Amino acid sequence: MASETQKVVVHLRATGDAPILKQSKFKIGGDEKFIKVIDFLRRQLHRETLFVYLNSAFSPNPDELVTDLYNNFGFDGKLVVNYACSMAWG
Amino acid sequence: MMSESWDGTLSFTEFFVAASNFSEQWRKLNSSLPQWTWIPSPKRRPWVPTNDQAGYLALENMILPRLSKGNAHHKSDVAETEECCSDYEDEAVDTAVVVLNDGSGEHRYDLHAVYSVSYRVPVLYFRAYRNDGQPLLLDVIEKDFSIDSAQLLTRAKWTFITQEEHPELRRPWYMLHPCGTSEWMTLLLSSDVSSAQDRIPREKYLLSWFSVVGQVFGIKLHLEMLNLVAPQ
Repeated sequence: MASETQKVVVHLRATGDAPILKQSKFKIGGDEKFIKVIDFLRRQLHRETLFVYLNSAFSPNPDELVTDLYNNFGFDGKLVVNYACSMAWG
Repeated sequence: MMSESWDGTLSFTEFFVAASNFSEQWRKLNSSLPQWTWIPSPKRRPWVPTNDQAGYLALENMILPRLSKGNAHHKSDVAETEECCSDYEDEAVDTAVVVLNDGSGEHRYDLHAVYSVSYRVPVLYFRAYRNDGQPLLLDVIEKDFSIDSAQLLTRAKWTFITQEEHPELRRPWYMLHPCGTSEWMTLLLSSDVSSAQDRIPREKYLLSWFSVVGQVFGIKLHLEMLNLVAPQ
């Protein structure tokens, strides 16, 4: 266990009129890239048209490591990830 | 709810302040990269207050991060091909062939953040060229782009690439269309959960904005820069 990269709890939070997930929290290996989170959301929501962002401030590069994001922007033992769906006219 | 709130747009003065802030933070954390520089516009613009300086923010000669790794060593291939042809006369021909086939060289990007008076948001204009200055067309440029992020943004219609006249340089440049910008900036900067005082100040606007548009080019903002916009 100790040698494994720590798992990170990701809390997915819908904004705007994006659908809410039944399971809004899940664990992911810290050495995974953020694109995994995006892909997970896409599959769960059956949508390509997502806007994914952190802390009401920025949209992480899909290439960032989850653990880096957690260490910088996580709190209360979790990383809160907001998501919204595309605009109506899209 | 606080829906009387902000619509995701900026005045020119706010853009100028955000641009200075952004380039300063970039300089602190990315000293080895090309720098964002304010390019003053020679003309007066009616929407620019008299005591402000018209202009735009430019990052020139940028080699995209992924590419600087991937394409670095085509040169050794070239050397090998040349060595196996002992004939001097052929050498010149060989080099020409290599340039045509490989066509890589390094791709350099100029990115300009220009204020759009009609959308009241920054707009990213860009062009790309090889080391010898030869401009790249969009189909080549798109191969440079980070597939994940570019698709993410364009398929979702958060933005799309089009060609327009650069408002300052009066030449056709590519741009990321700003029609969705104020919408995703509103999402980014005013979550319905966070309280009003958590809003990040407008001077950080460009940091948030570039966290999105930079993804198209595979440019990551330093996590410390992002820390500046993230309310703790």
